[in-house]
Amino acid sequence: MEPLIDVNCSAMECTSLLASAPIWQDILAQAMTGEVLAAMNYASLSEICDDPAEVADALEHAEGELGHAASFAAEGRKIGVDVANNVDAKHWKRLREAFLRCIAERDFIGCLIVQEIMLESFAVASYSRVGKVARGSLGETFARIAAEEEDHVDHAMSILRTERALDPQRFDDKVYRLHLDVMTTLAQMLAKECRDGHCEVCHASCVKPALFDVSLSAAELRGASLQQYLKTLDMLGIPGEVTLTWVTQLPV
Amino acid sequence: MGDSVAGVATRARTSEVDFALIGHQESWRAAADVLAVLRGPERTPLPDDEIKDILPWIPPRAVCHVDIGSIVGAKARGLYIDSFIPPDRLEAAYVHENIARVRGAAACAIKAGAKIVSLGGFSSILIEGNFDQLPERHDTVFTTGNTLTVAFIVQGIKKICALEGRNLRRSTLLIVGATGDVGSGCARCLAPIVSSVLLSARNVERLRRLAAELQADGVRVEIAADLQRFSAEADVVICAASLASSSLLLGRIAPHALVCDAGYPKNLSPRAEMLGVTVFFGGLGQITGGMKFAPDFRGVLNRHPFPDVVHGCLLEGMALALDGRFEPFSRGRGSITQERVEDMETIAARHGIYLAPLYNADGPVEDGLLLPDGMGVRMSAGIPRGSGPAAPLS
Ligand SMILES: NC(=O)c1ccc[n+]([C@@H]2O[C@H](COP(=O)([O-])OP(=O)(O)OC[C@H]3O[C@@H](n4cnc5c(N)ncnc54)[C@H](OP(=O)(O)O)[C@@H]3O)[C@@H](O)[C@H]2O)c1
Ligand SMILES: [Fe+2]
Ligand SMILES: [Fe+2]
Repeated sequence: MEPLIDVNCSAMECTSLLASAPIWQDILAQAMTGEVLAAMNYASLSEICDDPAEVADALEHAEGELGHAASFAAEGRKIGVDVANNVDAKHWKRLREAFLRCIAERDFIGCLIVQEIMLESFAVASYSRVGKVARGSLGETFARIAAEEEDHVDHAMSILRTERALDPQRFDDKVYRLHLDVMTTLAQMLAKECRDGHCEVCHASCVKPALFDVSLSAAELRGASLQQYLKTLDMLGIPGEVTLTWVTQLPV
Repeated sequence: MGDSVAGVATRARTSEVDFALIGHQESWRAAADVLAVLRGPERTPLPDDEIKDILPWIPPRAVCHVDIGSIVGAKARGLYIDSFIPPDRLEAAYVHENIARVRGAAACAIKAGAKIVSLGGFSSILIEGNFDQLPERHDTVFTTGNTLTVAFIVQGIKKICALEGRNLRRSTLLIVGATGDVGSGCARCLAPIVSSVLLSARNVERLRRLAAELQADGVRVEIAADLQRFSAEADVVICAASLASSSLLLGRIAPHALVCDAGYPKNLSPRAEMLGVTVFFGGLGQITGGMKFAPDFRGVLNRHPFPDVVHGCLLEGMALALDGRFEPFSRGRGSITQERVEDMETIAARHGIYLAPLYNADGPVEDGLLLPDGMGVRMSAGIPRGSGPAAPLS
């Protein structure tokens, strides 16, 4: 059993972390679910890669994401909560299915777009926000993982830019199709309030209204995620006026 | 749906961009209308609270293409780029964030290959003194657009005076925000043709300097930071202060004064009691050689009760683009002179860009009045879709 009290954390910080532990438990559960799902996605990706170097790369990524999941679980233990994950929860399941459709088509580029552009934009932005408000090792872990996620987005970005240069219109059309599928689900997941029932990840009622107690808000996490997504699409070279339309048409 | 998105993408790649217009929305209502067009009529509109939550996170970017024509056949293609400064965050407290937004918008213009960029509304105010922070690029120039703004403010005042039979030469002119780029340009153009000038702003030292400059040319000048301190009542007023919200109460002015509100956002508080006073929104021009937005933002990005009306600051970049003069015509602060204003008026008029029909929050102010010859103004019938200043969201 890991110590309940983090050695990097002052007595006052620990008191406040413990008081808000049920909130962190849900935040960690969402993050951990995302990491486990990412690991599954990379493992699936390794199965459609022909180049042994790409296979190794995908498996290494899968390992990395499992490492992130383990780090989040460990942070939960430090504040005395069990962090469960549920990749079959309704939104996460739909995200996995979207990825698996790319796998079924052996669409390597599609897989990268879903995982690295869409899911990772959400991870990088929300972990960074959480990293800013969470104290002690909890905050450090979120910030560290956000930085690691950003690193591998950079790697995928160069592959995707090269691909786009071959036929920008075709590439943009593909991103748009995947956007309609994946980002619609992400937008529902990120909605300010969960109006369509329980997300199946939070341990009790929806954590969103309680986020204010830890200096976060659902609106802020959604805003930061959409901003990161738009910036990532800009880096790919997709015209800003086009991606603006995409994002403004998402459900709220 | 997919096709139209793909269509815009193709166009962005194949078209050359002559000019870019950098702007931001004046009110939450205006911002909501922009998002509504992007969202399309088939989707439920975004609720007001969602708009306020989402807009501040949108990074600066192009919103639409703008194609314009000149009455002599020239054409220019442009982009409207929004910095997405939230309408309620123009205050000094947000200055760093807002400079970053304008810089981001400038980077978009440069990336698109715009040859000239007009800095609309607060953009030029924010970037002033920070021009070196704009991304480096040799073939994109920036203009504040303030010279054409001054031209239209001055033309508007002269026009109403002519229409109402007022004698400018016997008038006392008050300029609020007198030491600003727009205010000082107006002072230089109008001081020689009025009876006396009242200059107001917060910084008295800068007021003294402007007063000394005008006095050297024989103008009767009074300065005050507090509007109540002037010895005379103004009968012509220009409001050109860089106020973050419409909060100006003019107080003591002549009972039938003429007031030109050139602020963006408007300077005058909706609570200002203006009984008997003629108020009009200044600094606006109309492009008569044609203007098309893609997607169609007519009356949404330019919310005026007349078609093809645009703020002077943005029209300046358009006029220069139509003229093939890709030069930073208006740059810096406080250097707008009557000669430069006349040069800019000539360039604009050559391409059919004239003073817009005058209006205020209640509608047109020159209805039923005959226009004297040579005012260079066209009255247009018909109010564009979704146009007209509406009440802000809150
Ligand atoms: N209609 C158009 O097409 C158009 C075009 C360009 C600009 N504009 C608008 O015109 C206004 C002025 O623009 P600009 O470029 O001239 O700005 P500027 O150069 O920054 O000048 C602003 C002026 O307002 C004064 N001021 C600022 N806050 C004030 C306050 N609280 N009370 C009284 N005076 C105050 C400033 O002097 P102190 O700091 O000493 O007070 C200065 O004299 C802005 O609202 C801008 O958006 C409209
Ligand atoms: Fe990860
Ligand atoms: Fe990742």
